[in-house]
Amino acid sequence: MSETASVKALIFDANSGRPQLTREIRRLERDILRMGALVERSFRLSHQALFARDLKAAEELPRIDKQIDSFYKQIESDCAAIMTLQAPVAQDLRCLSAFMQLVRDLERIGDYAKDIAEIAIKIFPYPPHSSLPEIALMSRQAQAMLATSLVALADLDEASGRNVKQMDDVVDDAYEYLYQTLAHQKDVPGAVEPIVLLVLVIRYLERMADHATNIGQRVAYIVTGKRG
Amino acid sequence: MHRFLGNIPPSLKSQSGEIALPLIPRLQYEITSLRQEQQQLQQNLQNYQDLLEMAPVGYLQVDEENQLLWCNRSAREMLYLQRWQPGQVRLLLELVRSYELDQLIEQTRDRQQSQVREWIFHPSVDSAAAICEVKPLALRATTLPLAQGKVGVFLENLQSQLELEQARDRALCDLAHELRTPLTSIRLVVENLQTRLEPPLDRLVHRLLQEVDRLIHLVQSWLELTQLETNPSLELNYQLVEVRSLIAKVWETLEPLAQREQIQLSYSGAESIYINADETRIHQVFLNLLDNSIKYSPQKGIIVVETKILDSNQNCNKKQSTAPSLEINIIDSGVGFSEADLPYVFERFYRGDRARSRPKQAQASSTTIAGTGLGLAIVRQIIHAHGGSIKAMNHPLTGGAWIQIILPGVVVNSQFQDYI
Repeated sequence: MSETASVKALIFDANSGRPQLTREIRRLERDILRMGALVERSFRLSHQALFARDLKAAEELPRIDKQIDSFYKQIESDCAAIMTLQAPVAQDLRCLSAFMQLVRDLERIGDYAKDIAEIAIKIFPYPPHSSLPEIALMSRQAQAMLATSLVALADLDEASGRNVKQMDDVVDDAYEYLYQTLAHQKDVPGAVEPIVLLVLVIRYLERMADHATNIGQRVAYIVTGKRG
Repeated sequence: MHRFLGNIPPSLKSQSGEIALPLIPRLQYEITSLRQEQQQLQQNLQNYQDLLEMAPVGYLQVDEENQLLWCNRSAREMLYLQRWQPGQVRLLLELVRSYELDQLIEQTRDRQQSQVREWIFHPSVDSAAAICEVKPLALRATTLPLAQGKVGVFLENLQSQLELEQARDRALCDLAHELRTPLTSIRLVVENLQTRLEPPLDRLVHRLLQEVDRLIHLVQSWLELTQLETNPSLELNYQLVEVRSLIAKVWETLEPLAQREQIQLSYSGAESIYINADETRIHQVFLNLLDNSIKYSPQKGIIVVETKILDSNQNCNKKQSTAPSLEINIIDSGVGFSEADLPYVFERFYRGDRARSRPKQAQASSTTIAGTGLGLAIVRQIIHAHGGSIKAMNHPLTGGAWIQIILPGVVVNSQFQDYI
């Protein structure tokens, strides 16, 4: 029997015998996707702020981060409420516990996006660094991972959930390479601040990619019940 | 069916006198006609749906849980909804993760009011290479609340319009570039001519020179504006600028003009406020604004300039922005903007209606920014580049034109420290 189909049927089939629970989980899923869309947007804005030197975008981020935080708190407490009041079992329970951790990952990505926006403001007065295009590529890769993990969540697609982990290797390599480039730069003209800031940026991007990987893994966990 | 049966007795009664058909044939007749009617309605519905499917604008409809019920071809193309199959009911967010769209739908449902919003839609993609390839779309959504919490959304693709606008601006910019060099040569020739010509003719050349200067100024303003627009913040050379003395300096340059009309400047506000800004740009802002004010003020008018420090805790609760902002009000004693013009005064080449444009012909040509139609557009662009905002209004008491600027990044003098 195909496990994927049955989980999906159980979670999303209104005839599973517990329509109330099904409806509530579906509503939760909607809120998580909404939060995901918001996190994607803040990631995109942080990219714009740093690489297109768009300070308007940078200023928008703290506000979005607050919204993300309130989504996070609300979804977490909703999850807890459903767990205690409805006593879900098996896949439903897996789903809820994965959701609880998944929103934490999303919230972290949002935090890092805000941090990158702050860096964008600090780095603004300095001339653009030569590694910037490569860092922009790394940021796009991390964004693509977030997008893939959210599609995997929407479709409850185990394969593409696990696929995010493979995409993470590219980001890890980029981190390693960029770290070496930045750290071993010689004859730095002027202040070292821009280099320090860029090292922080690649660190944040690497962490964001890791959190996206986690989301993908948690989707796979919802589907199969196995932690990968 | 139930309702239909319930309706039978009265209709039987009312018609029994006229046609005496037996009950069963009458029922059969009614059923057939109802069926026909139903078929007709279904046909109509199908027609409407086909029409909507082929409509040049996108349409989609969601239920009260924001699940996508239906969408047409254009909507599928715009939002990359190829994954969706007709008849499938899925959360809209599962298919399109657009926070803007989702929020718009929620707002429509909450307020039970049609909403319009424009935004840049970034299709979600699953690889870094694709992010560069997939073009973001400028979309306009118009929503409509429907029965049972459903919401209908019309989508228009504004991308081509946006691209046309950009192409237009680029073309004009190229044109301006092409014009600049020959204009400079013309000016040199005219200057040369001026010294060699005899009295009756040199007046003509003098006028020619003025017009050439005006053209050069226009071309330069345009180029500057374009540069500011494409690279809003790159060009700024930040330094500490004292606002009061800057305004005084600008007024000095404009004094000859003002004196001719006996116009006075009245400044109120703090004596020394330092802002972090590009001095030459801010100088130009005040030059353009005060020049406008002089042009539109009557004789012996007074131009009021007020500066006010805004409490930063009040207008924004963000942690980082500890520096307060500066509000600058410039109010002239003219007739103000006409209501119809207000939304457009900052547009390029927009000049108010005849009544307001060039009221003093003699004077207009001698001012520095005489009627290029770009003055306010440049002002707005500079203010935006500084992260500030600008508004045009009419003063409720005097009726004069009122320009309000809010600039961030005030470095306050020590005497104000206790206010914060």
